[in-house]
Amino acid sequence: MAKELVAMLLAGGQGSRLYALTQKLAKPAVPFGGKYRIIDFPLSNCVNSGIDTVGILTQYQPFVLNEYIGNGQPWDLDRLYGGVHVLPPYQKASGSDWYKGTANAIYQNIAFIERYDPQYVIILSGDQICKQDYSDFLEFHKQKNAEFSVAVMEVPWEEASRFGLMVADEDDRITEFQEKPKEPKSNLASMGIYIFNWDILKKYLVEDEADPNSENDFGNNIIPNLLRDNRRMYAYHFNGYWKDVGTIPSLWEANMEVLDPEHSGIDLFDENWKIYSRNSGMTGHRIGENAIVENSMITDGCNIKGTVKHSILFAGVTVEEGAVVEDAVVMGGSVIKSGAEVKHCIVAENATIEENAKVGEKPEGEGVGEVATIAAGVTIGAGAKVGPNAMVYDDVKEGEEKW
Amino acid sequence: MVNSKAEALGIIFPNSYDSLVPELVSERLMASIPFASRYRMCDFIISSMVHSGIDNISLIVRKNYHSLLDHLGSGREWDLVRKNGGLNIVPPFAQKQVKIFAGRIEALESIRGYLNKQSEKYVILSDANIAVNFDFNELLDAHIKSGADVTMVYRKQPIPETLIRQSTSSEDLYYSLGINGDRVSKIYINPTEDGEMNFSLNIYVVERELLIKMIDDAYLRGYTYFVRDVLDRQIDNLDIRGYCYEGYVAHIHDTKSYFEENMKLLQEENLNALFSGDQIYTKIRDDNPTRYIVGAKAKNVMVADGCVIEGEVENSVLFRGVHIGKGAKVKNCVLMQDTVIGENASVEYVITDKNVTITSNKSLTGNDSYQVYVAKGQIV
Repeated sequence: MAKELVAMLLAGGQGSRLYALTQKLAKPAVPFGGKYRIIDFPLSNCVNSGIDTVGILTQYQPFVLNEYIGNGQPWDLDRLYGGVHVLPPYQKASGSDWYKGTANAIYQNIAFIERYDPQYVIILSGDQICKQDYSDFLEFHKQKNAEFSVAVMEVPWEEASRFGLMVADEDDRITEFQEKPKEPKSNLASMGIYIFNWDILKKYLVEDEADPNSENDFGNNIIPNLLRDNRRMYAYHFNGYWKDVGTIPSLWEANMEVLDPEHSGIDLFDENWKIYSRNSGMTGHRIGENAIVENSMITDGCNIKGTVKHSILFAGVTVEEGAVVEDAVVMGGSVIKSGAEVKHCIVAENATIEENAKVGEKPEGEGVGEVATIAAGVTIGAGAKVGPNAMVYDDVKEGEEKW
Repeated sequence: MVNSKAEALGIIFPNSYDSLVPELVSERLMASIPFASRYRMCDFIISSMVHSGIDNISLIVRKNYHSLLDHLGSGREWDLVRKNGGLNIVPPFAQKQVKIFAGRIEALESIRGYLNKQSEKYVILSDANIAVNFDFNELLDAHIKSGADVTMVYRKQPIPETLIRQSTSSEDLYYSLGINGDRVSKIYINPTEDGEMNFSLNIYVVERELLIKMIDDAYLRGYTYFVRDVLDRQIDNLDIRGYCYEGYVAHIHDTKSYFEENMKLLQEENLNALFSGDQIYTKIRDDNPTRYIVGAKAKNVMVADGCVIEGEVENSVLFRGVHIGKGAKVKNCVLMQDTVIGENASVEYVITDKNVTITSNKSLTGNDSYQVYVAKGQIV
């Protein structure tokens, strides 16, 4: 039985610009929005769009991600035929290789895709926060009788030169591709989400692999080659919420936007488009007698006795009496002790901020500014101070300052 | 056996003491009453059994069990999807004259064939009207070590007032034990005395083959109740021991105790006593985290995921998906799943069942000794 559409999710990215957060886990496994990890978004999109076969390509620090995905049950992807499969690089009779690029990662798994004999393949990125109906995208692809389609977002012209841009005619047919051009001819930014006819994708992957000078990358090699051959390529306009959380400030900002769904457009409360995740299983959270909680998201297992304002707390965070958490993202299991101040920062999982320590600072003026970041498992000693743009990988001793 | 598999199977009676909480079980049974912001009563005994290595668990249901089936599903969330054993929900066997069992004897007789085929040496029987984090291994060890025929679990506490009040009218019996050394020397049926007693928690351990023999014998004689008709009659012939449980117990025996046991968990020492052991499993609903919107005020509350708080809430337990509107005031309440409190509404000492809506500007007030209960799906 053939599958109409198989999803291949690129999740091997290191996310090197997330520094302290991706030391021990791949970017798609970075926690987001109180109880999710980034990869929950594309996975939930798949299920909500009716896609039941997903290959996840992993490479960098895969353990957390592997364990998290498990058999795919939280996303309803534990299926008898299809379901979710984690695909790390593997050894073949002809030798073995790391995934050299995004296209090479798919190339190495041609055999996996062929097991399902699909008509179409959708390539997804495991490091974006986006709620998108892929079935609508596929409908567009079919309507246009396309061989390749790419999801694009309109971006402000002044920012266009930061993106890979698709130049398209009035029928949305792509005529040109510009990678971060100085003089943009279009403001349609590629979201890195593609639908291919499988026969076309396979042909170009094989051809690309045979080219020793290729970087084996979709953006740099496959798409230019398709254009060269004048293939039927179309741009699918998407205008929902989309964020590439590639940097610490953008990750922080996206988390803060979750607190304001009315304006930001990222609504996690949508009953018709649930984002699924592996749940912590902890008890309901506790708000104490003298606690102050304002404009925040709090999840199971939290115990709040101090002040929490405009922040996102993940499962099992403790905020002791007299502690202040403001404009902060505090990930699972972290403890903010009494008198500590945690502001405008990201605290990764299972960190401890000891008594009267200070982490981060609200920037002056508008904009996101600098976001202090504490790596997972780190202890910030009593009375220590962590500056507003510090990236803390290791314990900070009592009373020390870290800038 | 390697690892942790216990030499016992579990049997749970989910309908026990339904008669004490008529409002709460009008569309469900005791075992599926929501408790402690995101659980159902049966989660506690089932999770405890699973953590003690018991992975062959039967629930013998009597009536109103749709909600229980919906909650437990295949048993996956309790790690009970197994080729051998796992979760086994036994509904009444429909015959020409459908006769619903009255007591444990008939219930157990209905699964006699199943009991006969199992390989576990012991059986642990339990009700589902208590929330505990119970170590069944310790109980089983004590039972085996003592060489007893039957071990009964009790707790030193006064008999709940409601039980005493209904002692002559209720179909659900309760017991206290006379203990001599660790032997049970006397079983008091529906005792009405004040003061601390050895109150039976209705958890029993017995060897499987002995249990089958007891049921066969009792069934032939037309007996109904396991404790009254089997154990008590044979108290001199059987070696029955008592096992005193000293851990935290939330005991549901009327609507008021339901309210109070929820409220007690707002005290951290109680919450920790019930939950600091092994995790209590429950059905996952994939709610988003709870959102406190600008203007919300929360004080001394326990809140599950999926809630939106815009108003004020104090001394309350909120289940999943509760919405408290702008300007609304909620104090000393237990609000079950998906309750909506409209804008500027005010509720105090109220228990709302699932999907209740209190419309805007309404006011509803109970008091410390009598809480207003709003039934499932009602719009006030």
